[in-house]
Amino acid sequence: MKLLTHNLLSSHVRGVGPRGLPLRLQATEVRINNVEFNPDFVARMIPKVEWEVLLEAADHLRLIEVPKGPIQGYEQDETFLRKMHHVLLEVEVLEGTLQCPESGRMFPISRGIPNMLLSSEETET
Amino acid sequence: MDHEAAQLEKQHVHDVYESTAPYFTDLQSKAWPRVRQFLQEQKPGSLIADIGCGTGKYLKVNSQVHTLGCDYCGPLVEIARSRGGEVMVCDNLNLPFRDQGFDAIISIGVIHHFSTKQRRIRAIKEMARVLVPGGQLMIYVWAMEQKNRHFEKQDVLVPWNRALCSRLLSESSQPGRKMPCGHPERSHPYHPPCSVCSCSVCFKGRCDSTQSHSVGYEPVMAGACCASIRKESEEENGFYNTLGKSFRSWFFSRSLDESTLRKQIERVRPLKNTEGWANSTISIQPARHSSLDLDHQEPFSTREQHLDEEVFVETPQKHLEWLKARATRKHLNGDHQGEIRRHGDGNFLDSTNTNESCVDRGNLEKGKASASKILRKVSAVDSMDSIPDDTIPVEEQQPDILDSRAFMRYYHVFREGELCGLLKENVSELHILSSGNDHGNWCIIAEKKEND
Repeated sequence: MKLLTHNLLSSHVRGVGPRGLPLRLQATEVRINNVEFNPDFVARMIPKVEWEVLLEAADHLRLIEVPKGPIQGYEQDETFLRKMHHVLLEVEVLEGTLQCPESGRMFPISRGIPNMLLSSEETET
Repeated sequence: MDHEAAQLEKQHVHDVYESTAPYFTDLQSKAWPRVRQFLQEQKPGSLIADIGCGTGKYLKVNSQVHTLGCDYCGPLVEIARSRGGEVMVCDNLNLPFRDQGFDAIISIGVIHHFSTKQRRIRAIKEMARVLVPGGQLMIYVWAMEQKNRHFEKQDVLVPWNRALCSRLLSESSQPGRKMPCGHPERSHPYHPPCSVCSCSVCFKGRCDSTQSHSVGYEPVMAGACCASIRKESEEENGFYNTLGKSFRSWFFSRSLDESTLRKQIERVRPLKNTEGWANSTISIQPARHSSLDLDHQEPFSTREQHLDEEVFVETPQKHLEWLKARATRKHLNGDHQGEIRRHGDGNFLDSTNTNESCVDRGNLEKGKASASKILRKVSAVDSMDSIPDDTIPVEEQQPDILDSRAFMRYYHVFREGELCGLLKENVSELHILSSGNDHGNWCIIAEKKEND
């Protein structure tokens, strides 16, 4: 699971607060991949990033050199874009957990795949 | 009702995909042209979700966008991941995403697996929720109206007989990969399954007896059975009569919306007439065989009319043995992979395609001869015993093969206008941009309305 993906996730546990509650990320196995750098692509992603969520996740993964937010003229700033490219697309959580901060419910990440299925008790109306 | 709906979907969607997922491992899937086009038209840098991505055939169509594949079925998601996709396991009814995260979403052959109207609406609303204002959603669902066949009911259980599609030529010496019957794989069978082997990926129109020869492996029968049906019926009652019969062998489910689901899920009734079942399910019925009179009201068809209550039928042991036997037939040589691919996807009832491919496939004589032999054997029940011994190796999960329930997939096929109506009346946050029919599917492209 890439951090860009994590950035889109939010808790869907029934009864838990408003949507948009990010999931707490813990990882026991992380892999760094080499992904082709596409500056335009990364630049377009920037406005979509929830920065707080990204920073917290990056912190849990002990990543360094993570920009704290979009900087002025980021679209042309290759250094900035490369760092974002790395954080969003090259860091991959292979094994770990995602936790709903309110309910405590844990979702596993195995072989890079998060499993967000809730049990029938948790979903039934 | 929601509980029963979930139960039905568990048994006849999720469990089936989970059990059959391994068969998709080595297949190369092909993206449907219009879906592919939709994806390629998305702006570079877009965030796309493929909800119900299956083995991930759409995940890499556009390298300029970031596509996230989601599916309920773990094994299918594993396959998609092994192909390099960014994927996760989740439920369309309860998407674990924040609002308005995606620029575009595709839902190809998914909504028709939900067994109540409310669930279908919920699935669509969930996708609308996670779509940015101005973002587009493409939905494909199986149409009730097919070119040469009309479903009698909208809620159907479609058998998928593993015995017939059991072995894939993954180690085939032929270049490239394809389904045993030469068809591009469909991880999500939003196409009508091949009438003959009920294989979800086997399209009637492209069934071909000229399979790649794979010595030493379990041969695949889907092509053969389709070839035989084609050959036989062309000369006799016509291709589509035979097809029609096979369609009628599908089960019909009582719509969950129509009534309370009493014991629908638990009820199983063994077939009384083995012969009728064997003949009609496979529908390889040359008209010249009087015992397989196409116009005769087969026991199974009759039974079908009473299937309101009973939708589950035990597949008799004999029937399955026969299916296994078919599985052992060697196939003819020939590489029609290119042609098959070119025909692409499509409604297997598409007459133009079918005729075209029927006529041109060479080398049918051998196929016909052996097919006839087998067909004649089938017509007599006790001939089941004389089935050749070179059956495919019995898998450990033999009981699964015997239980046909495990391989019946539930579909709610959509009437013309139904999908549009569903959106207009229940999902006001979406505005329909276009709708139409693509190869037997109703498709829609809708846009998320801007916030007020």
